[in-house]
Amino acid sequence: MPLSEPKMSEQESLKLISEMIQKAKTSYHDKGISSLLWGSVVFIAAMVTFTKEQLGLKLPFDIWFIVLFAIIPQVIISVKESKSRKVINYDDRSVDIVWTVYGITIFGLIAYQNIVPFVTKRLIAKEGWQMLKHMTDGSLPDVVITPFTLSATSIFILVYTFPTLITGLIKKFKPMIWGAVLSYGFFLASLFTSFKYDMLLSAATALFCWFIPGVILRRKFMKRKAANV
Amino acid sequence: MFKELDPILHSQLRLAVMSLLIAVKEAEFTFIRQKTNATAGNLSVQVQKLKEAGYIDVKKEFKDNYPLTTCKISPKGIEAFDEYVKALQEYLQVGK
Repeated sequence: MPLSEPKMSEQESLKLISEMIQKAKTSYHDKGISSLLWGSVVFIAAMVTFTKEQLGLKLPFDIWFIVLFAIIPQVIISVKESKSRKVINYDDRSVDIVWTVYGITIFGLIAYQNIVPFVTKRLIAKEGWQMLKHMTDGSLPDVVITPFTLSATSIFILVYTFPTLITGLIKKFKPMIWGAVLSYGFFLASLFTSFKYDMLLSAATALFCWFIPGVILRRKFMKRKAANV
Repeated sequence: MFKELDPILHSQLRLAVMSLLIAVKEAEFTFIRQKTNATAGNLSVQVQKLKEAGYIDVKKEFKDNYPLTTCKISPKGIEAFDEYVKALQEYLQVGK
């Protein structure tokens, strides 16, 4: 029935409002293509790696590159979906922000995984020692290995930044956005520094991600409070 | 004394449009037409009235060589909608 201009009772008005709000809420359904894509790509890469390790096989390429290649169809899917969307809900933006920040974090972890072992090797070489793989039964000669020393502080900095950027973008609160951007810089720097300096970068992250935005928020709150008294 | 119901909002199609737009960030004209089952002509007229009242913002652009109209509720529209719902509640409470 097309809607025209008849007189409405108060009950009819409220009924119409609730019907329309319901219609708007149930108007968009995620097709699930992105979830299927990433679910299958990561599943395949992990299972192939497991099988390779279990059977002692060697592959001529790194299977995890398929994760990088999956970015191309993901971009195409995202563009197509945004073109076909006739309505944008309030929570769409928040969900997009969460997944974007998650994407940045994954790239951060990839950088961490690729940089830290080599930097660690350089740092311990400076101290005049190296890490060897030594077979306790003496079946093989000792081999110098590129160590993977856990630079936990870098991971912490990355994790500190995660909720700060999400909150900043959702609330459109610039001090948190800039704090998070700076903290990504601190994270990258921490990949190249020793534990001592990692702590300095960690302190800087705490300042820029939370303390300074906290001071600004507190000032705003006190101002509002004073205005309401 | 009862508040008078906002005549801009107290119309079936305009109220339907506002109720849709209050629940979303923005919506295309075709989406609103589909959800309200209104004709394009009638909807255009009502959308124009809401725009003139300052209750919605209407953006007209071209997408893939086709005209695209997007509507978004304005802060004034949110306020008016809120007042309208409050007024309705007052009427209904007395009617009980």
